Amino acid sequence: MKKFRYLLYKDYLLLRRDVAGLMLMFLMPSVLVILMTLLQQSTFHAITDASVPLLLVNNDQGELGRTIDKELGSSGIFRVDRQINGKTLSLEELEKEVASSRYTLGIYIPENTTIGIQRNVARYVLAAFSGEEVLPLLDSVGFTIFVDPTAKASFYTAIMSTLKERTQKIEFEYILKEISRQVKEISPIPISTEGISGQQVYIDIRDARLKGKNMIPTPVQHNVPAWSLFAVFFIVISLSGSIIRERQDGSFFRLLTMPCSYTDYLLSKAIVFTVVALIQFALIFLIGVFICPLLGLDSLHLGSSPFALVVLTFSSAVAAIGYGVAIGNIADTYHQSSVFGAISIVIMAAIGGVWIPTYIMSEPMKKIGMFSPMRWGLSGFMEVFLQDAGLKAVLPESGMMLLFGIVCFAIAVTFNYRRRLDV
Amino acid sequence: MFFYDLKTRLSVENKFIIETVDLKKTYKGKLHPTLNGLNLRIPYGSLFGLLAPNGAGKTTAINVICGLRKYDSGKVFIEGYDLSRDLKAIKPLLGLVPQDIALYPTLTAYENLKIFGGLYGIEKPLLEKRIDQLLELFDLSASRNSYINRFSGGMKRRVNMVAGMLHAPGILILDEPTVGVDAQSRMMILEKLIEINRAGTTILFISHYLEEAEHICTEVAFMDNGTIICQGHPGDLIDAHKPCGSLESIYLKLTGKRMRDTQ
Repeated sequence: MKKFRYLLYKDYLLLRRDVAGLMLMFLMPSVLVILMTLLQQSTFHAITDASVPLLLVNNDQGELGRTIDKELGSSGIFRVDRQINGKTLSLEELEKEVASSRYTLGIYIPENTTIGIQRNVARYVLAAFSGEEVLPLLDSVGFTIFVDPTAKASFYTAIMSTLKERTQKIEFEYILKEISRQVKEISPIPISTEGISGQQVYIDIRDARLKGKNMIPTPVQHNVPAWSLFAVFFIVISLSGSIIRERQDGSFFRLLTMPCSYTDYLLSKAIVFTVVALIQFALIFLIGVFICPLLGLDSLHLGSSPFALVVLTFSSAVAAIGYGVAIGNIADTYHQSSVFGAISIVIMAAIGGVWIPTYIMSEPMKKIGMFSPMRWGLSGFMEVFLQDAGLKAVLPESGMMLLFGIVCFAIAVTFNYRRRLDV
Repeated sequence: MFFYDLKTRLSVENKFIIETVDLKKTYKGKLHPTLNGLNLRIPYGSLFGLLAPNGAGKTTAINVICGLRKYDSGKVFIEGYDLSRDLKAIKPLLGLVPQDIALYPTLTAYENLKIFGGLYGIEKPLLEKRIDQLLELFDLSASRNSYINRFSGGMKRRVNMVAGMLHAPGILILDEPTVGVDAQSRMMILEKLIEINRAGTTILFISHYLEEAEHICTEVAFMDNGTIICQGHPGDLIDAHKPCGSLESIYLKLTGKRMRDTQ
């Protein structure tokens, strides 16, 4: 044990003198977590705020045009302009405005659209009440929507759905009114359609969470655990570099001639770097809790199970350190380990949902992401932070990360034994 | 105890501190053996020079003796301990000074020595005393708290030697201890080696500088193709190989003038 204390002392000193490594481990993730959260927060506001520029040309003097105008204005999604320099635009002029990206959307409602719909509905209802099986001849009625070609497909689909929903609602109300009018003509009993709505089916959309906690995912809730994991895995660069440097400068060779085993050597490194990883987690979580609110962001909610958080944090550290030890033993040079380490971590982060949340990934990418230890860790942190999950809920994720770390350690020891002793 | 207690050890029956018997080792993927029946016998208290051309197998031999490489067959005894069984007991008896500067460049000389001494299990008060004594012996006391990466080549070599001697090993193995140092540092290192040897430590001295070996060694062995081809006192060898007037002439006569580039 006394000898082991000297190994710990050595690894502590080596780490303390590695200023570049310390900056990489502490400064880089702190800056990243704040920057990325701020960036995502502003994007979040851009989407949720009433900021989608829309140019509406309403030549219909009827109810449909008025309703669409009113609904778009009150939707909270669009900033609606109706004229440019006091002039109402033609269809061609509207298209030019959208094509030049000054507006994301342009809607052109032609003259007499309401009258056209009313006329068509009347023909339908008349045909239905007269018992005719042949469909009546209908006028062509509709409006034109121009979309900025640079707008994303998902945005386009969402807007189309909204507009279709609004026009169908108006159409439904006309049908109802016309049926009511026709029935009144043939029926002695007075009927009323007032209060009948097209929205009979109520869809209750909620954020899934436990115990009814009112917590919704925010950029802070995503970025803080995501970048903490990224930072902890970046330890790989320092850790593998430390192993390789010792091998190259011969001090590792000297250690092996001393009464200390290779397992002791690795264990000492693992302990020192585990402490570093835990400090990293604590630092970034503290930034999430205390610094983020000062920057106008939400405060990080750490969930209600400190024990689950500790287990998850520890197992993430074990996974990262195991990976670093494996790379340090397999790579021949510092250049190899730093390049391979950095690239593999970036790939793990990308597929693991650190940069982009996994719920917006395609299905194949989601499946690939299941192989990333960062995905396991992030999934566990999301459960703890957003659903107030306890230890039992994060055991699968923690178990996977511990297993990954142990397998990496085993690979490192085996690889070193075979290479060093030439067996 | 400042240096190895030779008098006590000489009471042991075995007269060789290191003895290898028909030691063989062939690396994976190599056709020819690197150690081909090596029989190396290093007497207690000697300053023993192992002289060999590149690729003769001396580094492999040292690595095997230090337990850093497995061997295929044969026996290795260190102070009577069988290497295949008693590596744990053997490690504290050996002090290795590798050819590369095996120190932590970002730590001070004192921190390096404290760590290496601590790993040998030396108690703190004794360790502090030994660090002070050895730094004094190698004229490094003034630089004890300086970082190794700021040392000159000669200073690094001397700290490298001190690190291998902290635990008063029975045998000090020095691989090219004077390579790349100036004449003053070289002279000092050689003088100290003689001093340490006279105080009781057996020294295995590996060098390409044959005049150094001739000057300081009490016994030398020439090694080639993984085996010992000649061994004895330098003066006796020169007498036996007349008209060769130096170890270098004998060495070239025995090993040939062909270049030995190895990978």
